[in-house]
Amino acid sequence: MKVLAAGVVPLLLVLHWKHGAGSPLPITPGNGTCATRHPCHSNLMNQIRNQLAQLNGSANALFILYYTAQGEPFPNNLDKLCGPNVTDFPPFHANGTEKAKLVELYRVIAYLGASLGNITRDQKLLNPSALSLHSKLNATADVLRGLLSNVLCRLCSKYHVAHVDVAYGPDTSGKDVFQKKKLGCQLLGKYKQVIAVVAQAF
Amino acid sequence: MLLRDCPVISKRKPESMALFAVFQTTFLLTLLSLRTHQSEVLAENLLLTPEAFKVSVNSAQRCLHLQWTVHNLPYNQEFKMIFQIQISRTETSNVIWMGNYSTTVKWNETVHWSWESELPLECAAHFVRIRSVVDDARFPEWNFWSSWSSWQEVNVQDSTGQDTLFVFPKDKLVEEGSNVTICYISGNIQNDISCYLEGEQIHGEQLDPHVSTFKLENVPFIRKGGTNIYCEEKQRKAISNGTVLFVSKVLEEPKDFSCETRDFKTLICTWDPGANTALDWSKQPSQSYTLFESYSGKKKHCEEKNRCNWQITQDSQEIYNFTLITENYLRKRSVNLLFNLTHRVHPMSPFSVQFENISATSAVMTWKLHSLGDYFTLLCQVELHGEGKMIQQHNVSVKANGKYLLNELEPNTEYVAQVHCADDNHFWKWSEWSGRDFTTPEAAPSEAPDVWRTMKSGSHNVTLFWKPLSKFHANGKILFYNVAVENLDKPSRLEHRSIPAPANSTELTLDGCSYQIRVTASNSAGASPAAVIVVPAAPGNKEVEEEIIEGTEDGFSMSWKPQSGDVMGYVVEWCDRPQDPLCDFQWKKLGPNTTSTVISSDAFRPGVRYNFRIYELSTKRIAHLLERKTGYTRELAPSDNPHVVTNNLTSHSFTLSWKNYSTKSQPAFIRGYHVYLKSKEEQCQPGAEKAVLPDDTVCCQYKIDNPEQKTFTVENLKPESFYEFLVTPHTSFSEGPSGTFTKVRTPDEYPYMLVHVIVPVVICVVLLVCGCLLKSQWMKDKCYPDIPDPYKSSVLSLIKSKENPHRTIMSISDCIPDAIEVVNKQEGSKIQSLGTRKSLTEPELTKLSYLYLLPTEKNYSGPGPCICFENYTYNQAASDCASCGHAPVSPEAPPSQWGLLTSSENLLKALEKNYMNSLGEIPAGETTLNYVSQLASPMSGDKDSLSTNALVPPPCSEYKMQMAVPLCLASPPPTENSDLSSITLLGPSEHYR
Repeated sequence: MKVLAAGVVPLLLVLHWKHGAGSPLPITPGNGTCATRHPCHSNLMNQIRNQLAQLNGSANALFILYYTAQGEPFPNNLDKLCGPNVTDFPPFHANGTEKAKLVELYRVIAYLGASLGNITRDQKLLNPSALSLHSKLNATADVLRGLLSNVLCRLCSKYHVAHVDVAYGPDTSGKDVFQKKKLGCQLLGKYKQVIAVVAQAF
Repeated sequence: MLLRDCPVISKRKPESMALFAVFQTTFLLTLLSLRTHQSEVLAENLLLTPEAFKVSVNSAQRCLHLQWTVHNLPYNQEFKMIFQIQISRTETSNVIWMGNYSTTVKWNETVHWSWESELPLECAAHFVRIRSVVDDARFPEWNFWSSWSSWQEVNVQDSTGQDTLFVFPKDKLVEEGSNVTICYISGNIQNDISCYLEGEQIHGEQLDPHVSTFKLENVPFIRKGGTNIYCEEKQRKAISNGTVLFVSKVLEEPKDFSCETRDFKTLICTWDPGANTALDWSKQPSQSYTLFESYSGKKKHCEEKNRCNWQITQDSQEIYNFTLITENYLRKRSVNLLFNLTHRVHPMSPFSVQFENISATSAVMTWKLHSLGDYFTLLCQVELHGEGKMIQQHNVSVKANGKYLLNELEPNTEYVAQVHCADDNHFWKWSEWSGRDFTTPEAAPSEAPDVWRTMKSGSHNVTLFWKPLSKFHANGKILFYNVAVENLDKPSRLEHRSIPAPANSTELTLDGCSYQIRVTASNSAGASPAAVIVVPAAPGNKEVEEEIIEGTEDGFSMSWKPQSGDVMGYVVEWCDRPQDPLCDFQWKKLGPNTTSTVISSDAFRPGVRYNFRIYELSTKRIAHLLERKTGYTRELAPSDNPHVVTNNLTSHSFTLSWKNYSTKSQPAFIRGYHVYLKSKEEQCQPGAEKAVLPDDTVCCQYKIDNPEQKTFTVENLKPESFYEFLVTPHTSFSEGPSGTFTKVRTPDEYPYMLVHVIVPVVICVVLLVCGCLLKSQWMKDKCYPDIPDPYKSSVLSLIKSKENPHRTIMSISDCIPDAIEVVNKQEGSKIQSLGTRKSLTEPELTKLSYLYLLPTEKNYSGPGPCICFENYTYNQAASDCASCGHAPVSPEAPPSQWGLLTSSENLLKALEKNYMNSLGEIPAGETTLNYVSQLASPMSGDKDSLSTNALVPPPCSEYKMQMAVPLCLASPPPTENSDLSSITLLGPSEHYR
């Protein structure tokens, strides 16, 4: 639990800096009050698209860096160890309305942000010398934070959605090292797959 | 079975039960006395059985911690007891370990003992039981085993799901090279499961249907992040689970542990730490180092892993006993060091190094030292380096400040002097070096330059050469060379010349006198001694024959015969690059007693001819040429064949010439030439031998042994034959390359002669024709002059005025006829056609008509002029007139009648009167003239006519003008009466001018 408190919780607090961000948020009715701290960018959707494209462009490199740093058997058994079978990953439907897609995207980013935080924490302990991996993980987390903010801004400003229920991945702090490596690899494999679909949908 | 890793808590005294123990002891003693007497053994077995037996687990360390008490012991007494422990795995009957644990036990004391399992405790359930025996000589009656305690089960498989594969131990830290046992628990999974260590399958044994164990021996260190072990379900092709084994490198004992002081304030201890045993995932940090000094009892944790500073206290401790302890999670090591502080003094490096009184050959070096106290003497070592190597080394014993005089220095040389010091009493370590560089000033060059000269034969130009002085002799940078020339034959001023360095030669133009030349080298400090050389008025070099010498890769060995007794020495001169224009002139001076030497040079190359001249230097410093040598360090095969020109090619011989071939520039001494000749002839000519070429062809070989013979005539050849030849030089060991043969074809004999005859003839003809063309006008005038056009005659103008303008008549005044003979030879049929009166212009009438104007014999009285002419131009029209024959002219016609002849009628009458039979048939208006040129050569038929007419050729054919005769009149048919001899018309008397 100490690890959880040191890793995931601060990350979530950063991701959801507003009051009550730590708990699942229901979607507010369309006519509910919704206020953003700063006015949204005029070209918000373009910015979201660019951020998605940026994430999509770097997802594969991040995946490769990750499984390479874990050592054998990961690089040679990607299908067995890093298959994107993350059961509780939030769904995303590319053919939905923009509002629905944005809500789903919000959930996906929130899930990814938390999981990436766990992975970053674990890898800094497990592979302290894998600096390029750390750098890539941090950069991805930074973009995810910005994207989350933009999506929320868009939801709030256009669709008056102030709260979205989000779910997070399993807590890996109690897992053994092998399980952490495997779960991280699966998550990044799923991320690579999903982000391509999401980037295409917008 | 590892017992040492598990913490063992041995004994503990529960004081709270003392009162109860008093009663119990009393009771037991009573019982013992009863037993002694009654031997009730069975009951006592039960009493000594360990009680309150508990087993706890430390699964991370795979340890079972056992604790128990023995209640039935006498109060306040210690007993030596042996506890026997049995451990079973999976089931109680499967005892995997049994052992004894001996200890002293007090009444009601809790005893602890630990056992470490090699198998992770999660892999299987374990069962433990214990019994005891008193092993004390004081109580031999209690020396029997108690009963076993009941089995205590240990099972740590609590959270394992039935459908999940688990691998144990999790994240285990082990040392490299150790043995590790892992297991997997498959639960309800029935698939075939394989386990791998970093991709390599490992093989184990099945503990029960769901548990397999793998013994990994001598596990390697792979990475700080741990070694991945994973198990794969074959059917699902899924890696279900795995574990990471953190393998630490073995902690090494610190090496080279030593301590020293530089200032008696701090001890600096250093060591080689060896491999870092840190692991990722915070499994194990780097090993720690702790310094412990036993005399003072002080301990210090070292921040750095290879050094530690220890503060020296002022309590004048001299002896130190240090223990360096290093440890990590798995191991602890230590090294010890005992030393006297004063024996471990490492002085600080000297400072303030200075040089004083630097001269060209000496300098004084000074330095300062950090004080170590009045009782310390330091040994300092001074080193002098020059040109990258050590030149001098000196030891100096000093207290505080050092000083040393450096001698035997070279002028103008850069030196580096350095010093380091150590404790003179107890040498431990030298300090670091401290040093500086300095340069000695220049001095005058110590030696005269080595000078030599070359003289062009037949002139008074002398080129002086000198070699640069060595650094040792130059004593500085040579700035210029002074050349002083003194005339020895007549008193004159010295001629001085200063040549800036680095020039190494100068040219002097002298007259026919003897000169002494002095050369000195100068630097900023002064001039060198002079090199003296004398150039005599007349060189007097005699012709010396060149001698061939044999060189080697090491050079040319040569010797000479001295000629005069008083010599200063000898000089051998040569060119290192004889093929270059500058030739890189070299010389070597030798002493007077030397008559041989070896000339070697890095510039010598195989295949290059080197020429050497050996001079004798007289005591007057005059050089005389002694000998000439030439040779190669190594002769090479000639690389080229001569360029051969073929001359004097005849049907039986040809001459080969290669006069441009230079034998002296060849890579070896040319001994001669081989001329190879290929022909269809099988036999070689005399003087030639059969030779087989490298391509197995056979040819004839002519040998020329004189290298200067550069022509060769191949004789006795066959005309109109092909020959091929090749000329190649040969040396003493090889010949030139087998090049391409040149083809020659000998010519035919007769065309050869014809050429000699025909060519001049053709040339003459051509010249003649050219001459004729150039003189065409003259030839025309001489051979075929222009015939006047009768139509343009003045007679026509007269006729035109009176008669028919078409009538053409010759003006008599323009002609002086002597005789006229009209010859007409026509076919009979054509004669008949006259009656048809065809026009003269008709083309079929092309028969020739000749009109001869000859003097009649009868009337010719002297050698007067005669006329005979024929002109085809005019004859054309006449001959075309087939109806007209040649009209004979009566010689009797008076000259006056010629005037009448201006009228055609009159003329017709005149002719008709004497010779013509049918003139009346010719119309007057159609008469034409037929001119016969004297120069025109008659046709063969005409010749016949002439012969038949017995015409006497005129002795002279000169005429002044031509005469036109009407054609129709001039061609009478050849009748029997009309003999041609009788047609002479004019005698000399009728000759008109």
